[in-house]
Amino acid sequence: MTFIDFLNLLIAALMLAGIYAVMSVGMTVIYGVMKIVNLAHAGFMMLGAYFAFELYERLHLDPILAALLAFPAFFLAGIAVHWLLVRWLPHSDRPTLQSLLLMFGLWLVLQNIGYLIWGNTDRSILSPRTLALVHLGPITISSLRLSIFVAAVGCMVVLEIALSRTWFGRSVRALIQNRYAGRIVGVDTERTARLTFGIGIAFAGVAGALLATLYSFDPDFGRPFLLRAFVIIVLGGLDSVSGVAVGALILALVETFSILFVPAGYQPAISFSLLVLVLVVLPGGIASIWAKRRRLA
Amino acid sequence: MNQVTAAQPRWESAVRVIFPWLLLAVLAVLPGVGLTPNIIRLFFITFVWVTTSLGWNLLGGFTGQVSFGFAVFYGFGAYTAALLIDRGLNPYLAFVAAAIIPAIASVLIGLPTFRLRGPYFAIATIGVSEATRVIMNNLAFTGGASGFRIVEERAFRQVEHYYTALGMAALAVAVSLQIAHSKFGLGLRAIRQDEEAAADLGVNPYGYKLAVHAVAAALTGMAGGVYARYAAFIHPQGVFAFQTSIYILLMPVIGGIGTVWGAVLGGVVFGIVEEELVANFPELHLLLYGSLLILIILVEPGGLAGLFGKVYRRWRKRRDGAHPGS
Repeated sequence: MTFIDFLNLLIAALMLAGIYAVMSVGMTVIYGVMKIVNLAHAGFMMLGAYFAFELYERLHLDPILAALLAFPAFFLAGIAVHWLLVRWLPHSDRPTLQSLLLMFGLWLVLQNIGYLIWGNTDRSILSPRTLALVHLGPITISSLRLSIFVAAVGCMVVLEIALSRTWFGRSVRALIQNRYAGRIVGVDTERTARLTFGIGIAFAGVAGALLATLYSFDPDFGRPFLLRAFVIIVLGGLDSVSGVAVGALILALVETFSILFVPAGYQPAISFSLLVLVLVVLPGGIASIWAKRRRLA
Repeated sequence: MNQVTAAQPRWESAVRVIFPWLLLAVLAVLPGVGLTPNIIRLFFITFVWVTTSLGWNLLGGFTGQVSFGFAVFYGFGAYTAALLIDRGLNPYLAFVAAAIIPAIASVLIGLPTFRLRGPYFAIATIGVSEATRVIMNNLAFTGGASGFRIVEERAFRQVEHYYTALGMAALAVAVSLQIAHSKFGLGLRAIRQDEEAAADLGVNPYGYKLAVHAVAAALTGMAGGVYARYAAFIHPQGVFAFQTSIYILLMPVIGGIGTVWGAVLGGVVFGIVEEELVANFPELHLLLYGSLLILIILVEPGGLAGLFGKVYRRWRKRRDGAHPGS
């Protein structure tokens, strides 16, 4: 492998990490604030993919633009789902059996509504940008992947600003740290949970729309990505937003470079092997390394 | 879940003792009354599902550890039995092997994942089932993705399959009842309610979870083996499918999570409804189960068994009139 090949793979991994981060961060904030493992994330990603597909087919809207439009649409959908279903769950400090099963049921419903509407044929979005390339000297980058990466990084930056600079972000961080203490100092937990759920779902929709431009999809679209998102948030320590970025980068690097050693048929097993490895070696995720150091200092 | 208490009338506890035997007796004579092969097949499938439902319920219901990966055990059981029967082994010995191999697999899965609290186990089980299917799709000696056809020397007799499945379901009920009324079962329920408190009281959560996972996997694997012998053809997209895991999880939740008879009820309802639904509305059935799951979680977490119990208690209260309390 030449240095240029290595560089190309490295850039491919970085591009992949961007979209992986967007796809996982929604699960992380929902888990952090509400301690719910949102299995329905996969269903909303699938809906996001079809959202971009329909807008592209009917209105010839650029898929990247459609992905940005998905944000408000899925935000409202998330608020509605929270109001209809999630708020009735008993509150808890740890993930409950009920919440797991409820979100799982929701995923089944979404997935099969997908089958009812779009059937089980594979769809894909082929825009003029799909095959375009950007050349930077000896390095070639897919222009589509580059725009996805820019959109993904944009989303992450906006979220980071919202979390660190706004009152809402402050209450989210408070609830991630300690729900009861948050209530004592006057955080409206119900409202924060509702908005957080909306944002989490919005990120699922955006991620689904972005991924739809890269891969073909059917109503079962989200499942392999759900597993990757799990790996990423476990790597990141479940409720840390900065951990997500690191986790996404690690998974993307491992997946990209494993192509050199592992037969293509076994590729889907990689994320799982990584998951087990992390669970055994580093149960608290990557974040626990620097958390430990901080505690020692 | 409630134990028989002194407040219950005597005939009620008598029913509890007699009912299982009566049910078993009725089911044992049933093939003699001239049922069509199609109905016998429906019963056979229902017994298989009831067994898996009871298996999942031991881990998910009693112990509170949700697994989305029971298709792994079902599939391993199916392939173990298939490979052994194909080599000419007695099918009943093959079923024993179909229980042992998944139990070993369950320990290997449980060793890393049970060390952690919280949602890790549930998450990891999705990964296990995905990875297993990928590997089975690529494994040469099982036929890979094109599946495995079982050639059995003996003649096919449907009634034999019926009794095999009935015996297996009865075994699953017996094992579940035994665990439910044992100290071991009490420990499992303690873990479900509060793992740390259970550990303080001398229950070893790690060991208990591994043990119950193995029992659940053995039952599920045996069900897979019995099914494989009947179907005579299995492939990874069938027995190892994520959908199989979904089915195995839905049954006890619909029937009544954490109760033995709820899990049985869930398996029966699922077996019958599934046959009708898949035949008539192939797209709708999972949509229906998903909605049902949401409804059950939000409205009646006790499932169908809980619902029946509630209706029954209301009926008794009305009948007893003046008697307050239970």
